[in-house]
Amino acid sequence: MARDKPNEDYIGPVRRLLVGVLVVSLVGLFLIWRIDSPRVERFRAAAIDTVVPSFNWAMAPITGTANLISDFESYRQLRAQNQDLRRELQQMKAWKEAALQLEQENAKLLDLNNVSLDPQLTFVTGVVITDSGSPFRQSVLVNVGSRDGILDGWPTMDGIGLVGRIAGVGNETSRVMLLTDTSSRIPVTIQPSGQKAILAGDNSLNPPLEFLGDTALVRPGDRVVSSGDGGVFPADLLVGQVALGTDERLRVRLAADYQRLEFLRVLRSQPHEDIPDPNDLLGPEAEFFGPAAINPVSLQSVEVNDG
Amino acid sequence: MAERADRKTWINRGVFIALAFMFIVIDLVPRDMRPPVWAAPDLLLAATLAWVARKPSYLPVLIVAAFFLMTDFLFMRPPGLWAALVVVLTEVIRGQNRDFRNMPFFVEWGTIAVGIVAITLMNRLVLAVVMLPQAPLGLTLTQMIATIVVYPVVLVIAHFVFGVTRTAPGETGSRGHLL
Repeated sequence: MARDKPNEDYIGPVRRLLVGVLVVSLVGLFLIWRIDSPRVERFRAAAIDTVVPSFNWAMAPITGTANLISDFESYRQLRAQNQDLRRELQQMKAWKEAALQLEQENAKLLDLNNVSLDPQLTFVTGVVITDSGSPFRQSVLVNVGSRDGILDGWPTMDGIGLVGRIAGVGNETSRVMLLTDTSSRIPVTIQPSGQKAILAGDNSLNPPLEFLGDTALVRPGDRVVSSGDGGVFPADLLVGQVALGTDERLRVRLAADYQRLEFLRVLRSQPHEDIPDPNDLLGPEAEFFGPAAINPVSLQSVEVNDG
Repeated sequence: MAERADRKTWINRGVFIALAFMFIVIDLVPRDMRPPVWAAPDLLLAATLAWVARKPSYLPVLIVAAFFLMTDFLFMRPPGLWAALVVVLTEVIRGQNRDFRNMPFFVEWGTIAVGIVAITLMNRLVLAVVMLPQAPLGLTLTQMIATIVVYPVVLVIAHFVFGVTRTAPGETGSRGHLL
């Protein structure tokens, strides 16, 4: 077939060259990211930081519509929800009573023992701006960043349970990697048995527990809290409950409400003091072993001083 | 080619940019943070391929590269890889533009489907070679199939709403040149 190809002769090769350069530079960017990930990730955080807040005007109508639809859905189930809530309220009243009594008892016991607990955690609250946008990554962007003093690695909670941790901080925004993300690993303790495990996200709603010491001691329904091991997180943040998955693995039913994450608390996690060698605490003259090493001379001198 | 673009082409480029922007924003709106069981189609990819197959002049390669690089950054993907693959695929389709003009629809759909499967596999292959963590296979497959299935729908909308039609034989631009 005779085809008229205007300008093909001189535009073709130049264009092909330009496209080639484009593709090579894109692949080059990918390789640079693979080699020097932190630098490119910082660039990514900065880019998102400048781009995404300017999307707000476009997002507002879409968010509004989505909320309208979900509200309408919940409207239809209003009656059933009402009954559920009333029943839950009854149970909660009983629990509240129990909690108050326990709190008083706990305060008394702590006072008796003179225990000092971890310092109170303070938090910054942020609003979720966007989610990760792809079904493969579980993360959200919140509207607090380095100008609010947010640091990488700080834990993030909704009102009840742990949601994730900060991974990537921009000036005005920061990314929260959710516990469900495939690269999320959190050290946890299972109460009441005190077993330690790692909560490993696998892109499912109920992440599995890995490296669990003795599975026989853990039952579905046990509480899972963060363990503070390795200085990653402060201890005793509620994560969820143990549940037995359909694949016979122990999984965690997360306490945080992942269906609607709107406001997130970023906890200011102070690094607690690290004690690498407990012996150093005893001071330099701790070379004696046992009571026999008490120096009689010093005892005499003490008596002299007393007298 | 940008040199010969007339006013209509520029307007249509603007329309695509607005549309792509809307797709990205819809993806970014936080709705439900529970991990999905199945993945929604990649509408941006389907629209890009539909536009390139039907009216390549409405979608210059730089716009494709810019948008996919932006989504790479926004959607926490390895930056550059997916953008490079999409650019290569659109260039292949663009190169066969004259064949696409008189192709039966099912052949066109099949060609596009092969293209989507090829870049998805290539993406996974490259990630495996450089030892990066992979997205769950089930999700990738559902997204790939959903994108292929949604392609005709996007094509119909592009045809009737946005006027992205095949170039007819002998059609001329505003300055009387053959397209």
